[in-house]
Amino acid sequence: MRGMLLPALLALPLGAALVSAVARRRTAMEAANLAAFAGALLVAARLAVTVLAEGPVAVWNGFLYADALSALVIFLTALVALVCGVYAVGYLRQDEREETVAFRKLRKYYVLTPLFVFTMLLVALANNLGVMWVALEGTTLASLFLITFYDRKTSLEAAWKYAIIGGAGLALALLGTILTYYAASRMLGTETVSSLNWSALATRAELLDQTTMRLAFILILLGYGTKAGIVPMHTWKPDAYGEAPVPAAAMLASATLNCALYGLARFYVLTAKCLGPGFPSRLLILFGLLSMGVSVPFVLVQRSYRRLMAYHTIDHAGIMVLGLGFGGTLGTLGMLLHMTYHTVTKALLFLCAGNVQQHFKTDLFRRIKGGVIHVMPLTGFVFLMTTLAIIGSPPFSLFQSEFTILRAGLAAGHVAPVALFIGFGVAIFAGALLHIGKLVLGPSDGAPPATGRPWRDSVLAVLGVVILVMGFWLPSPLYRLIQAGARILGGGP
Amino acid sequence: MSFFSDAQFGERVITLMAALALVLQLGMVSQRWLITNIRLFGVQSFLLAAIAATIAHFNHAPHLYVAAWMTLLLKVVVLPLWLERLVKKVGIRKEIEPLINVPASLLISGGLTLLGYVVAESFARPAAGLPSRELGHNTLAVALALFLIGFFMMINRRKALSQVLALLSLENGIFLAAISLTYGMPLVVELGIFFDVLVAVMLLGILVYRIGETFESTDVSKLRRLRG
Repeated sequence: MRGMLLPALLALPLGAALVSAVARRRTAMEAANLAAFAGALLVAARLAVTVLAEGPVAVWNGFLYADALSALVIFLTALVALVCGVYAVGYLRQDEREETVAFRKLRKYYVLTPLFVFTMLLVALANNLGVMWVALEGTTLASLFLITFYDRKTSLEAAWKYAIIGGAGLALALLGTILTYYAASRMLGTETVSSLNWSALATRAELLDQTTMRLAFILILLGYGTKAGIVPMHTWKPDAYGEAPVPAAAMLASATLNCALYGLARFYVLTAKCLGPGFPSRLLILFGLLSMGVSVPFVLVQRSYRRLMAYHTIDHAGIMVLGLGFGGTLGTLGMLLHMTYHTVTKALLFLCAGNVQQHFKTDLFRRIKGGVIHVMPLTGFVFLMTTLAIIGSPPFSLFQSEFTILRAGLAAGHVAPVALFIGFGVAIFAGALLHIGKLVLGPSDGAPPATGRPWRDSVLAVLGVVILVMGFWLPSPLYRLIQAGARILGGGP
Repeated sequence: MSFFSDAQFGERVITLMAALALVLQLGMVSQRWLITNIRLFGVQSFLLAAIAATIAHFNHAPHLYVAAWMTLLLKVVVLPLWLERLVKKVGIRKEIEPLINVPASLLISGGLTLLGYVVAESFARPAAGLPSRELGHNTLAVALALFLIGFFMMINRRKALSQVLALLSLENGIFLAAISLTYGMPLVVELGIFFDVLVAVMLLGILVYRIGETFESTDVSKLRRLRG
C-alpha cells in the first residue's frame, strides 16, 4: 500500500496533462490541474509521514525511491505547484479578459505545467542517477515553451538562452553521471550496481575510484550548477524568470531550483564519502560565494523588479550551496531549512510581483508612478512583508536559516567566507529593500484602488500568514523531516 | 572467419572508426555550409552506431545493439532529415559564420584533442590490483575530444541552428564516452537519453523557426535586448 504512494505522485500530474490536452472548456482544464496538484500535495504529505515513521520507501525493484531528503523536496514541489495552480487560474483569466493571450495558449499552459511538475517530482523520486538526469533535462524541456508563453521578442531570446545554456550544462552533468557509473562498475562490479542506483552506491561509496569521482563531481557541479543558476552559468536566469508567466516563474525560482540542488546534493553525498568532505566543500564554498558576490551589483542597480528577484535567487542558490559546503550537522541542516523557507517565500514574492505587473502592465520600477500599497493594499502589504522575509530580516524564518549556515561556517573555521557572506548579505539587504520599499510605499498618485482578484489575493493572504507563522513555529513533523534529510546529506542512513 | 571473434581485431576496428569520427568533427569545424554540416553529423552518428555494434559483438554486451539501432534510426535518419527540412523551411542560405576564423579554430580544436588525450591518459592507469576492463584509452580520448570540440563549436557559432548541431555533436562525444568506458549506460537510462535528445532537438527546431520568423534572422548574437 505504501509503495503505491510513489507511482500515484507521478500519475496525478500526468493525468491532469492528459485531461487538459483533450478538455473542451477552460474550467475543465483548471479543475484538472487543481485537483491533480491538491492530490499530489496530500500524497506528498502522506509520504513524508510514512518515511518518517518507517524509513525509505522503494518500489519497482528500487526504481523509484524516497527517503527523507526526497520526501522534503517532493512536498515542497507539490506545495508550490498547488499554490501557483490556484494563482494561475485568476492570473490567466485576467490575461484572457484583457486579450493578452488566446484560448489556445491557455491549453498550452495547462498541459505543460502538469508535465513540468511531473518531471520535477520524477527528479526527486528517481533512484537511478541516470534517470534523475533524464528527469532534470525533462524539466528544461517542459518549461521551455512556458517561457515563450507571451511570444514577445524578448521571451524568444530568453527561451533560447535557457535551452542552449541549460543544454550545455546538462551535457556536462551527463558526462559526470557516466563517469560515476564507470567508477562504480569498475570498483563494485556491474552486478551489484547494474542500474546506477543511488541507494546502492551510497552504502559503498568509499570503494569508488577516487580519480574518477573527483572529475565526476566537478562536472556535476558545473552541470547541475547551471540548472540551479550558480555563477558563472547563471546568465539565463534573469531572462527566463523575467519572461515566463508569473506562476511558471515562481515555480522555476523555487521548485526547479530545489530539484537542481537536490541532484547536486545526491552527488555530494557520494563524493564526500569517497574522497572525504574536504574536496567537495572547497568547491562548493567557492561557487557559493561567487554566486552571492556576482548578484550584488545587479540587485543594487536593477531596473526591473522581476529581474531583481531573479538575481536575488542566484544569491539564495549561492547561500544554499555555501551551507552544503560548510557541511557538518549545522551546515546541512541550515541548507535544508533555507531550502524550505526560500521555496515558500520566493514563490510568494513572485506572485506578489505578478499582481503588480498585471495591474501596471510593466516590470520596470520607473514606469510605476504611485506606490503599490495605495492601489492594491493587500498586495502591497504582503509584497513588502515578503521582501523583508526574503532578505533575511528577523523575525522571519530566512534569518534563522542564514544564521544557522553562518554558525556552521564559524564552527568549521571558515572565517573569511563567513565575513564575505555577511558583507554580501548586507549589500543585498539594502539594495532589495530600497527598491521594493520605494515601489510599494511611494506616494499615492490618486489612481483608484484595483479590485476583483479573489483567486490571487486569497493565495497571497494564506501564504502571507504561512510565512509569518513560520518565523516563529515550524510544524514538528516538517522539522523532523528536515533533520532526517540533513542526516542523509551528512552521510548517515 | 576467425578474426570475427578476435577481440584484438575488434579493438583496432573500433579505434579506426573513432579516429574517423574525430576527423569528421574537425570537418564540421572547418567547413561553412549548414547542409554539409548536417550530413557530416549524420555520418559521424553512423560511425558511432557501428562502434556500438562492434563493441556489442566482441564484448558480448547485447543491450548495446539496442543503443546502436536507436542511434541509427534517430541520429542517422530522423534528425538529419528533419534538420534539413528545417533549413529549407527557414530559408537559411548563408553559411555558419564562426566568430574565430577557420585556421585558428582548427588550431584550437587540435589543442582540445590533445587535452582529451591527457585526461584519458589519467584513466588508463588501472588502480593497483584491479583488472582494467575498459577499451583502449584511444577511444576515450576521441570521445573527450569530440565533447570538448563540440563545446568550442557552440561558443564559436552565431547561427541558432549551427549551435544546435554543435550541441548534437557534443552529445555524440558523450555517447562515445559512455560506450567506451562502461559498454553503455543501463538500458532504461539510454532510452531516456535518446528520448530527451529527440524532444530537445524538436523543441529547439521550433524555437529556431520562430526566432527566424520574428527577427528575420537566426543570428543569435543579435538577441541582446535582455541585459543587466
